[in-house]
Amino acid sequence: MKLLFDRIDQPNLNRLDTYRERGGYESLRRALAMSPDEVVAEIDASGLRGRGGAGFQMGKKASFIPKGDMDKYLVCNADESEPGTFKDRELMQKNPHQLIEGMGIAAHATGCNRAFVYIRGEYDYVADILEASLREAQEAGLLEHVILVVHRGAGAYICGEETALLDSLEGKRGNPRLKPPFPANQGLYQGPTLINNVETLSTVPHIIRMGGSEYAKLGTETSTGTKIVSVSGHVQRPGNYEIELGMSSRDIIFGLAGGPPEGRRVKLWFPGGSSSPVLTEEHLDLAYDFDSMAQAGSMLGSGSIIVVDDTTPVLDVAKWVAKFYTHESCGKCTPCREGTAWTLAMVERMDRGEATPMDLEIMSGVQEQIIGHCLCVLGDSMAMPIASMVKHFREELEEHIETARARREGLPVGDAPVPPEQVAV
Amino acid sequence: MPRPEQRFVTLTIDGREVEAPENSMLVDGAKYGDVEIPVFCYEPKLGPPVGACRMCLVEVEGIPKLQTACSTPVKDGMVVHTQTERVKSAQESVVEFLLINHPLDCPVCDKGGECPLQDVSYGWGGGKSRFIEPKRHFRKPLELSPLVAIDRERCILCYRCVRYSQEVAEDHQLVLQERGNHSYVSTFDGHPYVAPFSGNIVELCPVGALTSRVYRFRARPWDVEDAGSVCTLCPAQCNITFTVRDDRALRVLSRDNPDVDDGWLCDKGRFGYQAIHADERVVSPMVREGGSLRPVSWERALSEAASALARARGRVGALAGDGATNEEGWLVSRLLREALESGDLDSRLAGGPSRETARTLAAPGLAATVPDVEFAHSVLVLDCEPVDDMPILDLRIRKGVRRQGVRLAVATSRPSSLDRNAEVSVRYAPGAGEAFVAALDAALAGEADDSLATAAGADPQGIRDLAQMLRAQDVVVVWGERLTGGPRGDQAGRALLNVAARLGLSGDGSGLLEVPASANGRGLCEAGFLPDAGPGWSEVVAAGEGSAGPRDAAGIARALADGELSALYLLRTDPLRTHPDRPTWQAGLERANAVIAHASVLTEGLREHATVVFPAESYAEKEGTVTHPDGRVQRLRPAIGRPGDVRAEWQVIGDLAKRLGLDLDFPLASDVSAALFEAVPFYSGLSLVELAAHGVRWPEREAASALDAPVPEPGQLETPPNAPSPNGALRLGTFRPIWSAPEVEVSPALRFLTPRARVELSPQDAQRLGVAQGATVEVAHDETVVTAEVALRSDVPPGSAFLPEAEGGAALTHGEPRLVEVRPA
Repeated sequence: MKLLFDRIDQPNLNRLDTYRERGGYESLRRALAMSPDEVVAEIDASGLRGRGGAGFQMGKKASFIPKGDMDKYLVCNADESEPGTFKDRELMQKNPHQLIEGMGIAAHATGCNRAFVYIRGEYDYVADILEASLREAQEAGLLEHVILVVHRGAGAYICGEETALLDSLEGKRGNPRLKPPFPANQGLYQGPTLINNVETLSTVPHIIRMGGSEYAKLGTETSTGTKIVSVSGHVQRPGNYEIELGMSSRDIIFGLAGGPPEGRRVKLWFPGGSSSPVLTEEHLDLAYDFDSMAQAGSMLGSGSIIVVDDTTPVLDVAKWVAKFYTHESCGKCTPCREGTAWTLAMVERMDRGEATPMDLEIMSGVQEQIIGHCLCVLGDSMAMPIASMVKHFREELEEHIETARARREGLPVGDAPVPPEQVAV
Repeated sequence: MPRPEQRFVTLTIDGREVEAPENSMLVDGAKYGDVEIPVFCYEPKLGPPVGACRMCLVEVEGIPKLQTACSTPVKDGMVVHTQTERVKSAQESVVEFLLINHPLDCPVCDKGGECPLQDVSYGWGGGKSRFIEPKRHFRKPLELSPLVAIDRERCILCYRCVRYSQEVAEDHQLVLQERGNHSYVSTFDGHPYVAPFSGNIVELCPVGALTSRVYRFRARPWDVEDAGSVCTLCPAQCNITFTVRDDRALRVLSRDNPDVDDGWLCDKGRFGYQAIHADERVVSPMVREGGSLRPVSWERALSEAASALARARGRVGALAGDGATNEEGWLVSRLLREALESGDLDSRLAGGPSRETARTLAAPGLAATVPDVEFAHSVLVLDCEPVDDMPILDLRIRKGVRRQGVRLAVATSRPSSLDRNAEVSVRYAPGAGEAFVAALDAALAGEADDSLATAAGADPQGIRDLAQMLRAQDVVVVWGERLTGGPRGDQAGRALLNVAARLGLSGDGSGLLEVPASANGRGLCEAGFLPDAGPGWSEVVAAGEGSAGPRDAAGIARALADGELSALYLLRTDPLRTHPDRPTWQAGLERANAVIAHASVLTEGLREHATVVFPAESYAEKEGTVTHPDGRVQRLRPAIGRPGDVRAEWQVIGDLAKRLGLDLDFPLASDVSAALFEAVPFYSGLSLVELAAHGVRWPEREAASALDAPVPEPGQLETPPNAPSPNGALRLGTFRPIWSAPEVEVSPALRFLTPRARVELSPQDAQRLGVAQGATVEVAHDETVVTAEVALRSDVPPGSAFLPEAEGGAALTHGEPRLVEVRPA
């Protein structure tokens, strides 16, 4: 069942006439004929959960937007920066009108008179495409009820956090704000603001077309609909796949993406981008939906599966995760600013052979000190996967530390693999 | 605007029932139950909480995650735990995180011993660190400005200083550079952080990252004592604490008084204490001998002064200014009136309204308080520049606009730094304040005649907009003494009373707040240092025979120059520094037979013309009272002993009076205060004990009824004179920059801020005159020529030019609007 990716590779789909030929902007027309409350009710009935990472029900969020005559804002979060996530890029690049139509409907539903697409700076060419399509739609008089602007970010991961995004959009340094107040009450320029991900908003036209209850029949009871999954890492066919939520994870990784290269095994996989706690081979048969992932101690997040096979040491994965989040920490709150940098320093020290297995205690202790104590979720985004790696792969990490130390101290190295730089060519 | 009413809710903290004010944050609410929750970034004075440091995490029942107590408002029935294992471990974690990159160089850190980071680490930290990695390094210490040093390694990135710069002082200079672990505080391009209120960040910093360069390494907290007093360097009269070591004032800190200063200080107040111990300080009596001043004994100085004054009996004028207390003003006024048969005394710079008008303007029924500025519906800033004239009021006005939604209007001739915060800004011709207020009065009365606006050189539509805006419930008018100075001061004052009546100002949330020109301007007037009013605005019988009534400051200058007066008594003032019409003063001082001065620094007029100088006490040494512009009588208390031969002024005046046959002998300073309180009817019953902590506003006391001056109904006003039309010349306006003070010049740390003669021109005029930014020009009126440097300001209205008073302006003004010529030098 393809909705978002329906004939996604159709030539010139980014052009208004092509999009309209296949029924595009019909949903917007239909929505504009409905009352805002009816549109919100449809979205609510669909059970659509946010596709950006948090998985909050869109209908509920839209219903929080206060009624009344005032400046209200709709913001599309297109700052797709999570490592392993590349679904929004394809959606905007190939079918920009789907997003624009979705935003038109959402703006009508919530009474937002101003809308922004905050697109990450690196998606320069995508922004060009989106802007061109937006102009077409505006010139065709399809968006008379809302002023829509595409705003390019400057390349900070933190600006994908909704309140940091709002600060950045206001022209300030992109730092997360304290919540509450939530954006629905006091968001952009202190006005009520609905923020949703590209994929979420792109789904809206399909909900209006199908009807909310019909859409809800897709997927599982609590994870309705279809989802674009970005599969990357050690798989033979990496890419974006639209699936119905609830599909087995093994079917995605092995069936759609072809599994790891011949002769290798899945060591671990991130089910929802690099910020989700890792799962192992034994979790492969879990259904891929919000609740199953949460029950397994991880999360669906933005729906990005990163597969790591048995050729890669876990410590390398940890180092890569720690490095990314240390670099991207905004520095506003203490646990994240200091905790990420400390973790990275420890991981590097372990790798250099300057640590003992006891340092793993400190490392998991530091992760515990970060989790739940930060201003936004960036700190947790590093701490949760690192903590899960220590939990699932303690033995391997201890061996890695001992081997590295032995090598550094010139002691005989047991059965440890010979590091690549020492392999005679 | 009604102040928020305080209601209380009941919550449970650590098993204890606590009553806390509704909507207060848990951190503050917990204090009502004697529970302390540690914080770093939380500081309510900086605005809404940001929850950045995460130090105040506590457990709130019903919420799964730990909550920051700084941002969680108390609610009825809330159950909070601050001592559970979970909370303790979270707080220990944050301390551990904060300390991993902190150098822990407490033994050499100025903050050691008074450091919140130390206190919190001891109180809530785990006492150990597991961090063995190298710490983060920065170059240190660096100058953030000539006044403040920054040590970025000690910084815990709590954001306080940045928030202060962005949201309180609104100078928008400090920012956080880089991100994450590499973040550091800086100005955007590394330029020095120089601003009127920059020093407050030193006091805000919860660690030793921002330190005063003046205080650095001077003392440790256990070496020093605190002594509370009041700063008398400007009319704001902020409450301060002197840090005293070995009888020297080493530092000035704010002594938070929400009714006066809101806990902030300007840099002049924070660093100007250096003048107390400056080499330039006069520490012994001096007498002019052979053309120059020489140190002499007290006996000699007193007898010289007494005989000179006795010779000039009936022909003595007196001025009082900056740091003079109510008591000193009162004693000198008695000395003049009772012993020297002279009524020529003035504490205002250029005269002012008549006694009737002045006392009505000061009456309790019209008096606004400082907090009223924050809670009014609208505030009008009229003919003053708060940041220069009463700096701390500038922060209060900004706070009202930012936090309480106060609607601000600015009506001045010189562009104001508050223009950006104002809803309406109206410009009028320099010196045309009276015409402007008359035009505003007409607009408020609904008269459609624009001739008054034209007379004021103002935009009629702007005045109508202003009138429209001021039709709010509670209006506070902050007005400068400049408005009612000069020969038409009385008419200007009456126009202002008309406006006050039309706006229905009541003294209860709305009213007038005068910004006097000298630090204790209001107190000196109330003590009777005026030509036509005795203590408490009482009527005085003209002293002296055959004189044309008592003279005001301008009259004294003329009479000295004409030889009608032969002696001048200067109580902590120097007319060549502060008063307009410098040429007349210069002539007067030259002609005077005797100039007796109480001074702590020899400024130009004294150096050249004083015949006897009594060394004056500094504000750190003084005992007595001063009166804040909103009527708050505040008490000065000596923090240190007097240096050299300095004696208390009240004693010196008493000794002098005795030699002139008047008994002004008091055993103690407190006896002088008590006598003053008796002499001023509305101070009656005040006691120094009552004033001890935060002073008392006399308009709120029962005795205030002694000054019952009802606001008259709006009456017909005289037609004010038209502002002169420039016709190619420029209208000259003057101002006194915040840094124009002898204390700035003699304080080594502040000296770099000493203002220069800079003439502010509009780019249009500069182009017409063919002068560029920084060019040297001559500003001339008739034969008087002042050399100045051109400073272009795009918001100066074409046709006007502005010069700082002490740096050239006073030479060209004499209380009435003047036209000047500007030409390349």
